[in-house]
Amino acid sequence: MRRETNRETGSEKRDTVVPGFAARLLRVVRRIVGAPDYGAYLEHCRQVGHPPRLTEREYVAQFFESKGNGVRCC
Amino acid sequence: MRRLASILLWGGLSALGAAAFGVLATRRGETIGAAWLLIAAVCTYVVAYRFYAKFLAARVFGLDDRRATPAERFNNGRDYVPTNRWVLYGHHFAAIAGAGPLVGPVLAAQFGFLPGTLWLVIGVVLAGAVQDFTILFCSLRRNGKSLGQMAKEEINPAAGVTAMLAVLFIMIILLAVLALIVVNALKASPWGLFTIACTIPIALLMGWWMKAWRPGRVGEASAVGALLLLAALIGGGYVAGNAGLARAFSHSGPALTGMIVAYGFVASVLPVWMLLCPRDYLSTFLKISTILALAVAILVVLPPLRMPALTPFATLGEGPVFAGKLFPFAFITIACGAISGFHALVASGTTPKMIAREADARFIGYGGMLMESFVGVMAMVAACTLDPGVYFAMNTTPVALAQASAVLHQAGFVVTPDIMQQLAGQMGEQTLVARAGGAPSLAVGMAQIFASVTAALGGKTLTALWYHFAIMFEALFILTTIDTGTRVGRFMLQEIVGHVWPKFGETSWYPSVVAASAVIVAGWGYFLYQGVVDPLGGINSLWPLFGIANQLLAAVALCVGTTILLKMGKARYAWVTLAPLAWLVAITMTAGWQKVFSADPRLGFLAHAASLAGSAALNAGRLIFNDRLNTLVALLFMTVVALLIVVSIREWWLVLSKRKPAVTKEAPFIERAYATGD
Repeated sequence: MRRETNRETGSEKRDTVVPGFAARLLRVVRRIVGAPDYGAYLEHCRQVGHPPRLTEREYVAQFFESKGNGVRCC
Repeated sequence: MRRLASILLWGGLSALGAAAFGVLATRRGETIGAAWLLIAAVCTYVVAYRFYAKFLAARVFGLDDRRATPAERFNNGRDYVPTNRWVLYGHHFAAIAGAGPLVGPVLAAQFGFLPGTLWLVIGVVLAGAVQDFTILFCSLRRNGKSLGQMAKEEINPAAGVTAMLAVLFIMIILLAVLALIVVNALKASPWGLFTIACTIPIALLMGWWMKAWRPGRVGEASAVGALLLLAALIGGGYVAGNAGLARAFSHSGPALTGMIVAYGFVASVLPVWMLLCPRDYLSTFLKISTILALAVAILVVLPPLRMPALTPFATLGEGPVFAGKLFPFAFITIACGAISGFHALVASGTTPKMIAREADARFIGYGGMLMESFVGVMAMVAACTLDPGVYFAMNTTPVALAQASAVLHQAGFVVTPDIMQQLAGQMGEQTLVARAGGAPSLAVGMAQIFASVTAALGGKTLTALWYHFAIMFEALFILTTIDTGTRVGRFMLQEIVGHVWPKFGETSWYPSVVAASAVIVAGWGYFLYQGVVDPLGGINSLWPLFGIANQLLAAVALCVGTTILLKMGKARYAWVTLAPLAWLVAITMTAGWQKVFSADPRLGFLAHAASLAGSAALNAGRLIFNDRLNTLVALLFMTVVALLIVVSIREWWLVLSKRKPAVTKEAPFIERAYATGD
């Protein structure tokens, strides 16, 4: 039985405890280093009007798999 | 009034840059400050970005902000995401900047600081940044397609296959030469090896943290990883100071070769989240922060350049670091930083899928490459702050050093064993002689610059710690490239074999994963071993091969770019890609020809093989075989690219003579939602 993440169960506190500017800064750093951002994915689903098709674990797994196909320059 | 201010500003910047170039070009026989080099480079970059990049964006490509980008049209919140241009700039820069812009300029410093710097600055403005921008634009207009796909669709299917094979061969040589740099930096270095070995369990811990325990929490895992890395760095000093432990972590080049080959294989077959991704995050954080710190330290210290503008090796062609004259070898030794074909793979990979507005392509494609060139200039500064005698003693083998001793002595580049021993002691190493590959000499230069900053701040100089920090920084992202490169090579091999045996093409079928990984690792592992046991140090033969391969890939990219421009009806602007293409073909074909057919045994593979014929040396047979293999590889690269150029020219002629309709595979125009106010 797979454990649900805090964000999926609704017990995630991070986005509420991190103030606006710091949250934006974190998101910028996450994008620069190519880190998964499930919050942005949920926001995207909300904007386009469909429920999330991926759980956080699935999203993270797919994100890492896709990152592994990328090229790093010499 | 505003126009006058603009003229004064840009005229002033141009004059300042020209003056700095003038100082660099005319001062001889006296030490020169790094500031002149930095001023010349930065002024050139800003003027080129303001005028040339703008011309490319507006006139040549016709970037149109009303056109929806792939990020907007296919937005899935994961791969295709419209991204702020500053964020994407950082992301793109982290993907294109690796060991190349740091190591190439260090090796090219054997000609003096001037040739390499001029190539870095002029090359990037007219060639490297143009290539990156062009391919990014082409991919952006084609739903983020890869270079191979664009070659196949815009030139012909044979060109697509040729481009794919070229990338695969180049990948194998690239991984071998990068691994050789790590081996040369870590051999007989218990401190360095301990620190790098620790990155494996640290990465595994981070992988478990980000995937299983706290999914997606990259920041937390990276912070823990960075702390553990710092502990490993400090612990390395203790290991080096303990005789028993130091012995356990001191290994020869061939032994390290076995370890790194085994590592590459394991990293390729393990799931990406376990080792590859966490290592990639660690190396990205370290890369960005160290490069920023180096830039600030150089600006604070402004160290004097001790290497002259030109050394005798620029014209003699008998340099101890690598053989060959300034033309063409300075231009293939410095690839990343001036122009790198590998960037075309990144510019047609993740970046075009994240661009929010077409106009951002100028900042990210052209501007990102300018920053990479600046990293190359900083590496050149770090290498040229070293005493020239020390630089040459570090970057070659004792045999090659002895051969060049007369020229070195005449040029005043003298170093004694005592000086080298003292320097090794300062850096916490047993020896620094014959540490070819560029990484150790760059690390010494960086350590001295960082140490002067810490000393100026009132602390200890910490030279040994800084040296090993620099080695860790270089080795970490080289190993990341080895992880990703082996994996990408494995995918390509699976795809190629998959055409005749579909089951093998399934990337998740484990026997295929293991077999393809083994073939790729065996390929680069063989060239690595060859370099490690080469009496001339390996870099002499492998780095030029890598440089030729990388620049030939750039030629492939520029062929694709030129074809697309012609099909867009922009024939009058085709010179923007044709001029760098012609230059690249000239330098790579000349270098390839000389590497194969030169009568000088230090330069020509065949002449070297002939010089060994009949030799009673134990490994003469293997060295002859290696020379012939290198000949084959160089000729293969040249033939593959010559074929692609011929196919491209045929396509251009058909299009220009209207024998074939100029049809591009550009995605249809769809107006941006933001533009229409939705």
